Amino acid sequence: MISTIIRRLAHMILVMFGISMIVFLIFFATPGADPAARIAGRNASPETLEQVRASFGLDQPLPVQYGLMMHRLFVTRSLTSFVNRGMAVVPAVMEAAPVTLSLVFGAAILWVAGGIAIGITAAACRNTLIDRLLMILGLIGVSMPVFWLGEVMNLITQSRLHDTWLFAWVPALGYKSLSAQPWEWFKTMVIPWITLAVMYAGLYGRVLRANLVEAGQEDFIRTARAKGLSETRILLRHALRTSLISFVTMFGLDFGALVGGGALLTEVVFGLQGVGKLTYDALQSLDLPMIMATVIYASFFVVVSNAVVDILYAFIDPRVRGTGA
Amino acid sequence: MSHADILETTAGPADAALPVIRARGYWRTGLQQLLRDRVAMGAFLVLLLIVLGCVLAPVYASRVSGTNPFVSNLDGTITVGGQEQPVLEPSTEGLGLGVTPIGPTWQFGPYLLGADSQGRDVAARLLYGGCNSLLIAGSATLICLVLAGIVGIVGGFFGGFVDRVIALLLDVLWAFPIYLLAISLSIVLISKAITIGPISISAGSLWLPTVIIGVVYVPYVARPVRGRVLNLRRSEFVLAAVGLGIPSGRILWRDILPNVLSTLVVFAPLMLALNMMTEAALSFLSIGVQSPAASWGTIILDGVTLLYTRPLVAIAPGLAIVVTVLALNILGDGVRDALDPRSKVRIRNKK
Amino acid sequence: MSSRRRPLRHVVALAAALAVCAAPAARAEQAKEHVGGTLRMVARSAAGTIDPQINYTIQFWQVFQILYDGLLAFQKANGTAGFTVVPDLAEAVPAPQDGGKTYVFKLRKGVKFSNGNDVTVDDVVHSYNRIFRISGPTAGSFYNNIVGADVCLKTPANCTLSGVAGDAAAGTVTFHLVDSDSEFLYKIAVPHAAILPAETPDKDVGTVSIPTTGPYTIADFDPNKSMKLTRNPNFKQWSQAAQPAGYPDEIDYDFGLTDEAEVTAVENGQADWMFDQPPSDRLNELGTKYSELVHLNPLLAFWYMPMNTNAKPFNNLDARLAVSYAIDRTAALKLFGGVSLGAPSCQMLPPGMPGYAAYCPYTKNPGAKFSAPDMDKALEHMKKSGMAGEPVTIIHEDTTVSRAIATYTQSVLEKLGFKTSMKALSPDIEFTYIQNTKNNVQISVSQWYQDYPAASDFLNVLFGCGSFHAGSDSSINIAGFCDKKIDADMQAAMATAITDPAKANTQWAAIDKEVTDQAPAVSLFNPKHVDFVSSRLGNFMFNAQFYWIPSQAWVK
Repeated sequence: MISTIIRRLAHMILVMFGISMIVFLIFFATPGADPAARIAGRNASPETLEQVRASFGLDQPLPVQYGLMMHRLFVTRSLTSFVNRGMAVVPAVMEAAPVTLSLVFGAAILWVAGGIAIGITAAACRNTLIDRLLMILGLIGVSMPVFWLGEVMNLITQSRLHDTWLFAWVPALGYKSLSAQPWEWFKTMVIPWITLAVMYAGLYGRVLRANLVEAGQEDFIRTARAKGLSETRILLRHALRTSLISFVTMFGLDFGALVGGGALLTEVVFGLQGVGKLTYDALQSLDLPMIMATVIYASFFVVVSNAVVDILYAFIDPRVRGTGA
Repeated sequence: MSHADILETTAGPADAALPVIRARGYWRTGLQQLLRDRVAMGAFLVLLLIVLGCVLAPVYASRVSGTNPFVSNLDGTITVGGQEQPVLEPSTEGLGLGVTPIGPTWQFGPYLLGADSQGRDVAARLLYGGCNSLLIAGSATLICLVLAGIVGIVGGFFGGFVDRVIALLLDVLWAFPIYLLAISLSIVLISKAITIGPISISAGSLWLPTVIIGVVYVPYVARPVRGRVLNLRRSEFVLAAVGLGIPSGRILWRDILPNVLSTLVVFAPLMLALNMMTEAALSFLSIGVQSPAASWGTIILDGVTLLYTRPLVAIAPGLAIVVTVLALNILGDGVRDALDPRSKVRIRNKK
Repeated sequence: MSSRRRPLRHVVALAAALAVCAAPAARAEQAKEHVGGTLRMVARSAAGTIDPQINYTIQFWQVFQILYDGLLAFQKANGTAGFTVVPDLAEAVPAPQDGGKTYVFKLRKGVKFSNGNDVTVDDVVHSYNRIFRISGPTAGSFYNNIVGADVCLKTPANCTLSGVAGDAAAGTVTFHLVDSDSEFLYKIAVPHAAILPAETPDKDVGTVSIPTTGPYTIADFDPNKSMKLTRNPNFKQWSQAAQPAGYPDEIDYDFGLTDEAEVTAVENGQADWMFDQPPSDRLNELGTKYSELVHLNPLLAFWYMPMNTNAKPFNNLDARLAVSYAIDRTAALKLFGGVSLGAPSCQMLPPGMPGYAAYCPYTKNPGAKFSAPDMDKALEHMKKSGMAGEPVTIIHEDTTVSRAIATYTQSVLEKLGFKTSMKALSPDIEFTYIQNTKNNVQISVSQWYQDYPAASDFLNVLFGCGSFHAGSDSSINIAGFCDKKIDADMQAAMATAITDPAKANTQWAAIDKEVTDQAPAVSLFNPKHVDFVSSRLGNFMFNAQFYWIPSQAWVK
């Protein structure tokens, strides 16, 4: 048990540091990434440029810069952005985290519930009209680019139909704090939740249905059927369990990626200053400290969610237990 | 398919009465099954039409639309209903701000779906774009499935240290900021091209988005594959094979691979959908297909800036993606049903 | 050179200042009922540090104009009256002495910082030293003419400018310049020369606000969320022209919305003003449904495409001329948002700039104005150049307008016979990328906005030999254009401007023609600034130097 935990931790740290090193190298290998001129200001004289380069430590060898950056990021937590000078990146990420968590948790609840509902209904009514309709609706959800859908939602709710009773309740774009204004928070998040969940609900519904149908052919299900159990009971109690394996694996990967800032285009479109938006801005301006902070934050969640998924795997599929995988 | 098809009679003089059962083979049976599935064939037809549209794009551009869809046409005019209208209409009311491209004419001719912000024919670009989108998404899906298959099989079958290393690599890949890599690569490629063997990747090359999209979703597919392989490794027929001393390679090829293939086939249409989405996202960030080439993603990018005045420019490629993804998935379902031996048994038993 | 000849410009400035001061009695009466309320501004993102001596963006200079004061200021008046320099923390605009090499400013008494301390001569001297100690962007360009600047540029730490001397007893600050400089007074009036408390640390303050002298102070600043300005309790208006009292009690500047969302927010009354320009697909809506709420103002700025004069194919004059003749400026303007949003331009100086004389050779019927591109002439020059078939990559920003212009240019270049491709970079990165010769950029899409209203700010800065630094990210002469004769002419014009501005203007007009004829860049158009405001906002004042003045807005 302990050795597994230690192994997992070592794995996590390896992943995070591996990624941070690769990101660092990519940054400095990119032409035009050198921040000195952008920090110094437009039309800076060569002397000014040199001064800025020295004061930001950009003239030192790469391993030294990497070490310093990691030190400032983890030990002193005083690493500041290249673009918004004086702004410490770690507190910025910590402040943006609740926004992303709000978005992803809410959307996750919607898409898990939606996915399971769609999957079960479609599998139960297999090959009927309902099944096909649900699959088509689900697919439509998957095929709409999320940034496009977000813009269309904004067009409808903020502009075209904003004055009608349908959408008059939609508040201005931009995040409202949960602790300060809970009702406003909820109203602000509803449309972003739906936008983000639409894509995943369809995807998960489809996968679940496919797995349920496949499970329906398994021997143990036929045994249950032969024993005389009702179809619903078979579906919900027996088939569902094994079918959830793919579901859970995908959920783990997606949730981990989204919490780490994967929903960046959604956040940008709805004006939510979450980790995704920070990542997007940092990429646009090649702000290395912020990129490092967001990348490490994201990789942390990915690795943690993978670990959780592996544990859940063992619970859901008893066949996997005891293999020490 | 009746029983008679399976039973082939070799009419020899001596053993006329003895029927010889010769199976048609897994893939051939599957194909025949597929051809009888009307819904799947319908989807296949739709896909064929889309590919046809893309192949005929140059003809459409020269004969029907009359303008070059890759060249800006800011001063062009067309005759609609007897009146000559500029393709990019400047506003004349109020302060006279803004220029609006012409809307859809809904007539089979120039500007069927209207013009984009450069005055180019959207319908023609849509056809050309379909080629690029399908090509990129298709190749990326192939790359993704092949890599995920290999990685999943190796990790799941051999287990132990190899599996752990692979899990580490997959985690690094999934957590990796792929946009950063894409942005960086695209900037590097402006001045020089990268040559890998016979392939030369320069700035406008379609290989860049293809490889990036293909690689980024490998963990997504590799994990279920790995899980499947783990299950299979414990199944009786594999244990039997191992017990018999059959070499691993053969077990992999004959037992594991076909089962994994069916998992991959289930994922294929889904991955195609996701890859089309990723291509759109990359083009949205200007690191996918480069102008003046079109893909459905770049047309959406153009359309998003026209969303408030000419929403059709963004909706049309979106719809095209939806239809293509639907058709691919329905076909995929059909293929899976056709290839799944258990579903075949079920069907026959139902009769 | 007689020192008693006051340059005409200063007299005009003083007269204008006096005239404006005389008007206001009526205005003060109206004002009271509109005092109060909270002004809500929105922008896509913050613009970097709030250190006025480092930040070099128009977005924050617009805010600094109501926060900080220099010895002189650009008058807070509508339109081009805003180009006039009026006394701010100094009592009067000093006459140049000693052949323009010495200026003595008398410091106004009674002005306090927002922390309660008086503004003293020491603060002034310290502020000018600080420009060098923090290696500000213009230390080497605007202020290198002050005696002792070269020493300070070499060793900035704790340096003291020998050319800035304060006399606390007399209340004066004396500047000694190396050479006389006709633009010195402008440079004193920009935020880089703001007067800050002497105890301000000698490094970029980043997000920490420095005490202000203006009617507002920065109460809070989070670059990812918002900036909040509240009234400066220690502010007492001393000059209506230089720093008038503000109407709103509080100003909230929120960051994070996309430009589409900003337009919607202002339309819905959720915000009063947006910084970013409205996206092109909303322009029609704004111009028709909200026409009274849209303000258009011409700018001393231009969109242009610098061509690399040191690399193929644009090291060949005929190739450059071919492109210049082939580009349709009106089409580029349409892509920007329509012909109401600017004026097509063939030359380097914008209209309204002193020294501007309308000149357009790159059109059918060359003369003063642009009418249509001359494709025949373009193809002629193309043939002469022999550059047909050369590969060209167009670098542009990842924004709608820049992409549209680049796409259009790509079509034109293909027609001329080049083999083209396009590459988008995000705006922050593109600007430094195209300056560095290591990146071998052939042609790019860029813009230039004035620092202050002087022709040298366009011609000398963009096309002077001194602005070109090979292999550096900071080489604003993007075209790499260096013509010894034109350079000498520019130096001569800058010298003449000190004593005879009118003559200097004719010289600049001639230089403008010379540079335009060499076509180091394709000038596209001079944009107008679009300000879209909410229905409740009144008293919209647009200063041509720093744009809309937030403190003068009525929100009640």
